[in-house]
Amino acid sequence: MMMASMVANGNRDGRQGEALVLKGVDPETCMIVFKNHWAQVVKILEKHDPLRSNTSSNMASAVQNYVEHMLFLLMEEDAGQAGAMGPILEFVVMENVMERLFLWSLRRQFTDDMKLEQLKMYEMIVGQARQPLLHHKPVLRPLMMLLSSCSGTAGPEVEAELVSLLNQLCCVLAKDQSVLELFFHTSEDQGAANFLIFSLLIPFIHREGLVGQQARDALLLIMSLSAENQRVAQHIAENTYFCPVLATGLSGLYSSLPTKLEVPGEEWHCLHREDWLQMPTLVQFLNSLEFCNAVIQVAHPSIRDQLVSYIYNGFLVPVLAPALHKLTLEEVMTTTAYLDLFVRSVSEPILLQTFLSFILLHRHENVHILDTLVSRINTPFQLGTVSLALFQTLIGLYCEDVMLQLILRYLIPCNHMMLSQRRVVKERDFYSVSAAKILALTPSCCSPEHSPPPLRQLDSILWSKGTDNKTEESFLEEDGSGYSCVIGSEIYLDVNYLHYLYNARLGISSCTRACQVWSAPYDGEDPPPEEYQPSALEEAGARGRQAQTVNPKRSHPHPRPRPPCPPQTTDPAPTNQLELEWDDSYDAGPVVPPEAATAESSRPPQPPAAEPPKHIQEMRRTAIMLVKGSYIEESDFQDDVMVYDLVAKKDEDHFKVSSLQEKDEVPLSNGLSLPPHPTNMEVNSSEVTKGSKEVKAHVADHNSNLQSPLATEVGDDLMDQYEELIRTLGSDEAGTGGSSHVKTVDKEFRNPVVTPMEEDEVDFSSFSVDTPELEKQHSSLFGTKLRSGSTRSHSVPFTGPFVSVLLSRLENMLDNSLHVNLLLTGILAQLAAYPQPLLQSFLLNTNMVFQPSVRSLYQVLASLKNQIEQQASTKKDFPELITSAQHCLLARESSLKGQDTNSGDSRECSPLEAGRMMKSSPPPQPKTISLARTEVFATVLFTEFLKELAAIAQEHSILSHVPMEE
Amino acid sequence: MNLNPFWSMSTNTVRKRSDGEEQSGEQQQPRASPARPSFGKKQLPSIPKNAVPITKPASPAAMAQLANGTHASYGPFYLEYSLLAEFTLVIKQKLPGIYVQPSYKSALMWFGVIFIRHGLYQDGVFKFTVYIPDNYPDGECPRVVFDIPVFHPLVDPVSGELDVRRAFTKWRRNHNHIWQVLMYARTVFYKINTMEPLNPEAAVLFFRYDKDVQLFKSKVVDSVKLCNSHLFDQPKMDDPYAISFSSWNPAIHDEAKERMFTHKRRPEDHQKGLQVSGLSWVKPGSTQPFSRDDNPPLS
Repeated sequence: MMMASMVANGNRDGRQGEALVLKGVDPETCMIVFKNHWAQVVKILEKHDPLRSNTSSNMASAVQNYVEHMLFLLMEEDAGQAGAMGPILEFVVMENVMERLFLWSLRRQFTDDMKLEQLKMYEMIVGQARQPLLHHKPVLRPLMMLLSSCSGTAGPEVEAELVSLLNQLCCVLAKDQSVLELFFHTSEDQGAANFLIFSLLIPFIHREGLVGQQARDALLLIMSLSAENQRVAQHIAENTYFCPVLATGLSGLYSSLPTKLEVPGEEWHCLHREDWLQMPTLVQFLNSLEFCNAVIQVAHPSIRDQLVSYIYNGFLVPVLAPALHKLTLEEVMTTTAYLDLFVRSVSEPILLQTFLSFILLHRHENVHILDTLVSRINTPFQLGTVSLALFQTLIGLYCEDVMLQLILRYLIPCNHMMLSQRRVVKERDFYSVSAAKILALTPSCCSPEHSPPPLRQLDSILWSKGTDNKTEESFLEEDGSGYSCVIGSEIYLDVNYLHYLYNARLGISSCTRACQVWSAPYDGEDPPPEEYQPSALEEAGARGRQAQTVNPKRSHPHPRPRPPCPPQTTDPAPTNQLELEWDDSYDAGPVVPPEAATAESSRPPQPPAAEPPKHIQEMRRTAIMLVKGSYIEESDFQDDVMVYDLVAKKDEDHFKVSSLQEKDEVPLSNGLSLPPHPTNMEVNSSEVTKGSKEVKAHVADHNSNLQSPLATEVGDDLMDQYEELIRTLGSDEAGTGGSSHVKTVDKEFRNPVVTPMEEDEVDFSSFSVDTPELEKQHSSLFGTKLRSGSTRSHSVPFTGPFVSVLLSRLENMLDNSLHVNLLLTGILAQLAAYPQPLLQSFLLNTNMVFQPSVRSLYQVLASLKNQIEQQASTKKDFPELITSAQHCLLARESSLKGQDTNSGDSRECSPLEAGRMMKSSPPPQPKTISLARTEVFATVLFTEFLKELAAIAQEHSILSHVPMEE
Repeated sequence: MNLNPFWSMSTNTVRKRSDGEEQSGEQQQPRASPARPSFGKKQLPSIPKNAVPITKPASPAAMAQLANGTHASYGPFYLEYSLLAEFTLVIKQKLPGIYVQPSYKSALMWFGVIFIRHGLYQDGVFKFTVYIPDNYPDGECPRVVFDIPVFHPLVDPVSGELDVRRAFTKWRRNHNHIWQVLMYARTVFYKINTMEPLNPEAAVLFFRYDKDVQLFKSKVVDSVKLCNSHLFDQPKMDDPYAISFSSWNPAIHDEAKERMFTHKRRPEDHQKGLQVSGLSWVKPGSTQPFSRDDNPPLS
């Protein structure tokens, strides 16, 4: 329509032209013109009531012509003296011009075109008037009527215009809060005490593109307003669906993410920026997550707390938790990668806390998410790598709660060391004894003296794990000489060790700085070991979890430790929430019809729907129960790799498996009491045997990489481990015979296995090999070990599953692929940089005497050295291969350095620099060496890792903030 | 600090008092950044660009001390860090009136100055040098040599060396620390010991203190005066980190003084201004995650 087009143009050229025309025209003339126009309009309006007679289009366009001129006059008018209204505005107010115009259009057919026209009209005058217009009800009221009439069913053009106008209104609000009151009052006149501008924006929260962005910007303006204005905050928190829409919208967006990622290669382990930029649905999800982050940052605490609670109960628990327990390896791996990306994307502490408390404390199907994630580190598939990457992210947060749950809680009682060693915890290593001992593990084939001359001249093999390359570069700039040092031929000074020292220093000091906010020093005295003996811990843990809510107000029902309780049924399930069906409508534009919002507005929002969204429920339905393996000491984790190997042999073992499954109804532990049989392990985690074809394929791949050294050793190792287990458990009951040992073991295994049978959903028939659903049923493979804390004997020293699993994987270093080793050593170096004496002494102090059953990092390193020496002695070409691998890694390193110059997003990539090298295509190599020679690469990496650890130990000895021992 | 001297450890120049001359050749090379990092801040050894390659083979002694089958190439790092650890301890002790600073050329040589605030030696300002044996911590105890032989029963009137060994008959690793030596060097001026003196004259005079108070006192006062009169002399060692005194120059020192005073207040500013990257929701005294009842600070 004409006016619309005129207005649209008027924003730019038209207005400028008009302004020029108006310049120099005196206000009185303008007033006269305005009044004349209005008189003409009024005549038409009175003569042609659209309800009575058909308004001719001539009349309509005549009106538009007049209005168009009038609006320009209004816009261009300056305010009167002392902020008084200009004469035209005063006239507009007195004569109720705007309302009459609006009513007139309303009485005609109120088409989208007409709405558009009116919206643009208001956008123009609100944005460009020289005096405040919105303070006047005769202007504001028709605007509000227009806005409410535009909500709901409108075409995309109207929506775009509506959001643009709303955005503009929010900008006005942000600048001038005095208008705010009027917005509320006006609404009250209409009988609905709501904040229309705000409600209208809500449906656009999750929109893609410009409209969504504008809406979110506008909402953020209101959010920061809420921080200062109690009334706004209260209204949003109590009378709107903002928080539930926002949080459950995440669920909706999440459901449209690919459930399986196409992974570029075996070495891929986390979603980098360049990865997710290729995925529009993920970009959209991250946009919404970022918006939540921003809201939490600026909004009033009441809104903030509510939102956080809805995210926890509306997204994390009902959506992400089941997704972490999906059916296939790929799906679970994908979810883990998403979770890692989300944690990296969130910056606001409170939101981060929400995610972390989900990871650390939430129980899904009665198993802590954390335990599940930790146990997955040991899967030889990509899931293991992705899980490692997630933990690298978590450890990199310098979060006390994370470190407490992962490691420190197991170290606090100091049971892992001999009693006499407690005083050693805080001791400073004055003479770098630990560093010397660590470096003394350098394999003879890799000792610097034995390095071939060309390598000595090369720069260095530097693994800048845990730090980003920027610092590395700055070091080189500062020092310019790091690489050009000429060293005498007799004394070989390991130049690259300097880099390790430098990086260690950076790592430790930033970690130390970060840990200043921690509640305790963890030095073996505070928290006092006596007060946190395992039994006490368990109780405290139970109490803590029961009482635990992120915030009392945030009332999300935390799962209690009391088993077994299906999470859904513990939640109160309000009914009216379900009627709204938040989830299904999110992707599809406007979610809340304002009528609905207003109708419900008198009631405060209900607690979040306990029912998970439909798609999740469906996933649930298809999901199956886990057979929870028991979890005992670290042997459990050590065995996982072998278990997977057994999966590969499933076909051969078909017979055994099915026979075992028949016995499933009776306590499974009997399998264990027959030690020397390899199928024991299948009993322990019989779920594994249900592996799908995909899994088998993976295992097969994996094994070909490993050249199946395990297959032959499994039997023996299992025996050894079994015996060790017996010994460990038996040590409690000195003097008892072998049979009682077995009983102990039985108990350990029986409890957890029996427990799931008490749950109703458990259907053991699904285990039978020929069940049609079998393909879907291997979920528990990457599922979990139940940490049977209550069954664990308290007196058995234990450094926690995380440390166990890390050391187990490290022990297999020679078989691990390069990228796994990079991640592993990276994480261990990250841990070693923590300044807490308990952690430091456990990882780095080689003089410390631990309990016999406790495995230390040093022990694992020493055993690796032996393995390497053995390899080196049996393979003639080993030194040659080492040299090739060194060259290969150097080339990769330098090509990585070249690549990294353009990496902008440091948070995104920095912790994983070392791993990223894997993305680069293999650089030219002096002598080709296949990456499949994992033992060769592992040897080189091992040597570098020793230097890295030694450097960290040395830096600790001079940076340590431990008070003097004297 | 500089690793360089350790490469030349076997030449033993470090321990000689005349090493200033011997190393002056290297000293004249342009240094890119002689500025020293502030106390307690260790900086990585900067390897001089044009460092002269050391061609001498490592002495058997140097090799021998690297026990535990350690590679010779790391030996210097262990020594360096042992000394840095010692230095860190010294800083922590906050010994009253004592200031030390390792030399630029060698971590085995520390420059120091001691201010005597009361007693017989009141107002004395004595510069000294600490020499640490290169097989530290397995060697003998470090030596303390005053630039100017102070008139004192335990100070050699010719060499200026303080008799430290009487207090540390056997240097025991992990037990003895360099800060104790410095502490001893300070105590000597407050509690005067005359047993087996290095300076018999002073000892005898002090022994006769009761009878001849004035004589001993006047000797001490003369010695203090002498030392103080040489305070502004060029440092004995030609080393960028040697301690040198100069008279008050407002253009230079006012600003430095200002900084010293503001430095005191800095720790608080430090915590406020710098955004701490770490996270914790653990209630002090608890070992439960997210046990704090209050909301985490928003800002």
